[in-house]
Amino acid sequence: MLPACVGLLPFGIVCGVGAAAAGASWLTSLGMSAIIFSGAAQIVAAQMVAADAPFLVIVLTTTVLGLRLLMYSAAIAPYLKPLPERWQRALAFMLSDQVFAAAIRRFHIDDDRIAAGRHFLGSGFALWLAWQVSCMLGFFAGNLIPAAWSLEFAVPLCFIALVAPLFRDTPSILAAITAGIAVLALAHLPMRLNLIAAGLIGILVGTLADLARERWTPR
Amino acid sequence: MDATLKLWAVILVVGALNYLSRLSFIAFFARRTMPPMLARALRYVPAAMLTALVLPMVIDVTPQGLHPHTPKVIAAVIATVVAWFKLGTLWTLGVGMAALWLLNWTL
Repeated sequence: MLPACVGLLPFGIVCGVGAAAAGASWLTSLGMSAIIFSGAAQIVAAQMVAADAPFLVIVLTTTVLGLRLLMYSAAIAPYLKPLPERWQRALAFMLSDQVFAAAIRRFHIDDDRIAAGRHFLGSGFALWLAWQVSCMLGFFAGNLIPAAWSLEFAVPLCFIALVAPLFRDTPSILAAITAGIAVLALAHLPMRLNLIAAGLIGILVGTLADLARERWTPR
Repeated sequence: MDATLKLWAVILVVGALNYLSRLSFIAFFARRTMPPMLARALRYVPAAMLTALVLPMVIDVTPQGLHPHTPKVIAAVIATVVAWFKLGTLWTLGVGMAALWLLNWTL
């Protein structure tokens, strides 16, 4: 779990810097990291608030971004069935990209669901705490970091670490390529609408490619 | 709308929607399986959405056209290879940042 916490540090710092740049107070910045608890959603929300995008557009874009949480929820749900409901609700709150990746690995190797659940709760809370600390660190001390370090590059790198391992089947690769072309081609759209449009186009292409693959695979 | 008020509204609504998504299949639909079409579409959300999020951070787009920042593009490609081989977040971050610093310094 420690490597994941350390890996999140620069990402959280950049999120804190982003919140400060969007004109948030320390309290709203803490509210963002504690309540939203999703680096991607925080960065996008901060950028869109700074760009004065309408409330509904911000909510819509972050919701499409958050659709992957739906998938994580479905994938982890069977493992949580033997746990008390109170635990399930607490664990759900901590379900983020990194926590999901760590938890699903643990549930695969550990047959003792209660022990694995405890591990999930512990690692989830550790990551949540590390996230708050790093976001606050970025908010207060972000301007002390020399620009020459290009710390902001840690953000795309964190997402690359999540997304590149998915590039193993044709539909995923096609989804990524079309979403990538679309986000650049539609960059002139206002209010960062290119992000949600590109995401939806990529999802559609991936789904169609998946259907086509199933149809034409000889069995 | 007042800027602080708007930010808090965004935090609470986005936070609530995020939590409901996280809770969805753990609590509300615990006894149901996901509709197959939805499951199929959701499988491609991370690949599409995260790629759409990353690219504009590496390639600047202005009304005049694309402005790829060469060291960033090369460092991102190297990081993608590292991550593809599932070496983990720390290696991806370390190699990616080191590549960027090295390229910025030499190019």
